[in-house]
Amino acid sequence: MDEAVKTARMSAELEVPATLGALGDIAALVLRLAGSAGLGKGASYRIRLAVDELATNIVMHGYRGGDGRITVRGRSGPGRVRISIEDRAPAFDPVQGRLPPEPHTAPERRRIGGLGIHLALTSVDEFDYVRRDGRNISTLTVMAEGTDPCPPRP
Amino acid sequence: MPLSVSLSVEGDTTVIELEGELDAKTAPDFHQTIEKAAGHGTSTVEIRMAGVGYMASAGLRSLVFAQQKVGEHVTIKVVGAIEPVSRTIRTAGLDRSIVLSDD
Repeated sequence: MDEAVKTARMSAELEVPATLGALGDIAALVLRLAGSAGLGKGASYRIRLAVDELATNIVMHGYRGGDGRITVRGRSGPGRVRISIEDRAPAFDPVQGRLPPEPHTAPERRRIGGLGIHLALTSVDEFDYVRRDGRNISTLTVMAEGTDPCPPRP
Repeated sequence: MPLSVSLSVEGDTTVIELEGELDAKTAPDFHQTIEKAAGHGTSTVEIRMAGVGYMASAGLRSLVFAQQKVGEHVTIKVVGAIEPVSRTIRTAGLDRSIVLSDD
């Protein structure tokens, strides 16, 4: 009964206020795109986690709790989802802001800030950032599984 | 996406059971329960996570907070986490201080 999962091309756009309350709407959109691309559980989880971490970072640190908007644009094709996240907060390149974990530091002294970005970047297959017209634009791509569930970063 | 949190004591173990999604929005509920658990003074705090279908880095922050709150002499066990959740814990290196267990 195992037939190939039917996939459909889909594109979607969502603009939400930069609040933690909007994270659920963003996640729902991402999971819909992942479903239409036929991504499996693991790949769907990874794209959701990556987008969620970047969006959370924009809410908490980008706009610093102030008013702002986040625009999420997504496109799915067979076995592949590409999502861009845009904001008008001060320039922030996630690759520069990434803080790898410190496994040798005792838990009581460990810093966790920046770890979300690390998780996001290690969860996707491709990542790109540009600052254009006063906007931060991060683009993330995840492909269907069949490979390493946590692809190594260069 | 809600998170339900329950707290009980079984012998010398304080049990926190989580169900739902653990992210930046829901983590504060977990933090409140951790504060209560720290007051129980048991030697182990067991966090049952089989019902957690999704965990973001806010959940990692909660686990670090838990270890800081109870002190290093108290063992924190995370039980039953699904693979992507335990992978997230390992990615952060928290499996060196927190016991990850299947059951």
